[in-house]
This record gives sequence, structure tokens and C-alpha cells, in this order.
Amino acid sequence: MDNEVYTFALKSALNEIRNACPDITNAFMFGEDGEIIVGDEKTSEKTMVHVVDAFEGIFEKANAIGGVECITIQGSNGRVSVSWMNELYFVTVTSKKADLNYVNTVTRVLIPTVLRLMEKISSTPLKSNSPLTETKHKPKISMDEELERFEPVVEPVEETVLEEPKETVEAETERKPLLSELPVSQLIVENLGGLLVPSDTVRIDSEIMAKWEELYEGIKIEEVEVGTFDGKTMRCKVKAIKDSKYEGKGVIQMPEKLQVALEIKKGELVRAKPIIE
Amino acid sequence: MVKKKRSFQEAETVVEPVAVEESASADNLRANLEEIKTYDGVVGYILRNSASAAIDLKDPAKIIDYAIISSSALDAGEELSELFNLGAVKDVVVEGKVVKVFSLTVGENRISVFLEKDADCDKILRKLQ
Repeated sequence: MDNEVYTFALKSALNEIRNACPDITNAFMFGEDGEIIVGDEKTSEKTMVHVVDAFEGIFEKANAIGGVECITIQGSNGRVSVSWMNELYFVTVTSKKADLNYVNTVTRVLIPTVLRLMEKISSTPLKSNSPLTETKHKPKISMDEELERFEPVVEPVEETVLEEPKETVEAETERKPLLSELPVSQLIVENLGGLLVPSDTVRIDSEIMAKWEELYEGIKIEEVEVGTFDGKTMRCKVKAIKDSKYEGKGVIQMPEKLQVALEIKKGELVRAKPIIE
Repeated sequence: MVKKKRSFQEAETVVEPVAVEESASADNLRANLEEIKTYDGVVGYILRNSASAAIDLKDPAKIIDYAIISSSALDAGEELSELFNLGAVKDVVVEGKVVKVFSLTVGENRISVFLEKDADCDKILRKLQ
């Protein structure tokens, strides 16, 4: 199933939940790695990122309590609830007057049903640890551009067969499942400084770089597009982070100049995708 | 001279009872937590304020992890309360597959009680409030 369809189905489910329970003021979902999957139409991406960031410390040490199943913040005017459902965290914010039994009944039935249904419809699992499949569920910064770029590859195989010689068809069908994936990764900004550090180059988690290069069949990734959640994007040169302590941590090291240009700072999330020309 | 002396004495009488009250409150909480620790399913507690911290856990190897979870839970509570206008935070409960953490703030004191997953939080809440 196409990621847009996933997003649409989940977003619709969240909006319907809010219609059914008007006391739910916000509802959204994020993955185990903090990746935001989808939110209802009234919850901004910035708000969702803020919530995920607020829970970062708990999730980092979650192993000590056997992993997080549920978090509840009870305030005098309402509550925030985070529940682990079908390998995703589901966040709801409810007002003081909300009937919690009703809210729980609706959310704990509807959301798992929608998730199970979508997993049944699609052969692709909803959640995967691979950063390449993570991008399927992310709201994209410039998905249209990506789709346009890979348009010939996205065409159905049958059409390609009619137009191309046999050898080319084989090559195309081999590449298709790879390039139709949009390798946008959500990364945490770290500072990059030093005398010999070029100001136009970012460094990205070597594991992600390796997966991108594998996806593009060994093509060396030399440039990336870095985008913020506010929609600012910038094209920069890229290198893999050499320090093994950052491997698999989803980190992007950025010189101060680039951080200033994108109006972001250390600890914030950005999206990066490789530029292949 | 007389005036100055009087004002100094007045200042003293204002400050002293507050300090005593805070200390008494922390001592009282600590006594309650010591009792809570004997309840079924309670694996320990952390009590922290600006002046001191008391940690009592059955598994000392997890002190750092539990301290970070405790602190993060209370910080997240405050942060998200502000973000979503939730008002004063009553408590924060983090339920893990093995252990759950029940955190709340009483005055200046930040408290987290660690319990086995199925232990009763309400009894503890009643004792602490």
C-alpha cells in the first residue's frame, strides 16, 4: 500500500476519533525510534516533535523498566496519554471533562483495528527498523519532487515491458523496488565544529549513508537535501560520521553556519535525503 | 540603632518557620515513603528537592536509569502541561512491561515510587497526598 494511503487512512481514523470524542484535543502516533507517523489535522508537526522530545529521557532508559507500555500525565485541566499499540506509540490529549472509559474504548478499539486492517491489506509491515522504510510514513518535505524525479521507474511494469527492450526491463524491474522507496531520514542535529571542518558539509550517521548507497546500487552520495519541519530546505555536501559511537544513532552533524541558515539548533530534528544526479 | 535591630529580628522570625516547615515536610514525606516501601510490589523510591535527595531501591544497579526516568517523567509532565494547558500536574505514571513508575511533586519535593507492574498506585497516592 502506498505511504500516502497509509497516512490518509490513519489521519482519517484520528480525525474520526476526535469527532467521536470531542474531548480529545490532540491525537497522533510515533514510532519506537521517535519517528512521527501521523497526527490529526489540528495537531501541528512542531507540537508532535515537542511531545516526542519531552519523552526522550524516558524512552532512552525504558529498558530498565522493561520497555514503555503507557505514560499518563494527569493535570488539573486534562491529561496526556501515550499508549503502545501495534508497535507504535499513540498519543492522546484529553480535556478534564473527558469520559476516560469512552475515550479508551474508542481509541483502543479503533486504532488497533485500523492498523491491523492496513497491515492485512498491505504485505509491507507498518513499522520497520530500516530507515529506508521509515520514510514511508513520514510527512514528506518535498514528496512531489521525489515522485517526479523517479517518475519513469514508478510506472507499472506492464507499461515498461511494452516500451523497453527485454534487457532494460529486467534492469528496471530490479531497480524499481529500491528507487520507489523515498529515502528521507529523520535525524537529530548535533554540532560540528573545528578548524578544518568545511562550513558547507554535514556529516550523517554512517549506517544511514551505507543504506542510501546500497539503495542506489553503490553510487557515492555526495550531496543531501536537509529540511526542517518549518519547511526550510538546504542542499549541502555530505560525508559519513567516522566516530563509531554515533553509528545507528540517527545523527546529523551540522556546522553552526548551516544551523543558523536553517534556523535550527542541536537536539532538533531535521529530515535529510540524498541527492542523486 | 534600635530600629535596625528590630527589623533584623523581624526578618529572622519570617525566615525561620518556612525552613523548619520545609524540612519537616521532607522528613514527613520520607517517613511516608519508608512505609510505602514496605507495601506489596514496591521496589523503591526517589525523593528529591533543592537541598537533598534520598534514593532507596531494591536493585542498586538501576539507580542511574531509574533516576533519569524519574527526572524525565516529572520534567515531561511540566513541559507538556504547559504545552497543552493541562494546569497543575497531579501525577505522572510511566508503565513498563516489568516496572511502573509513579511520580508526583509535593511542594518542592519531587517523588517517584517504583512498583511492580500490577501493584496498586492509589494506595500510594493516598499516602503521599
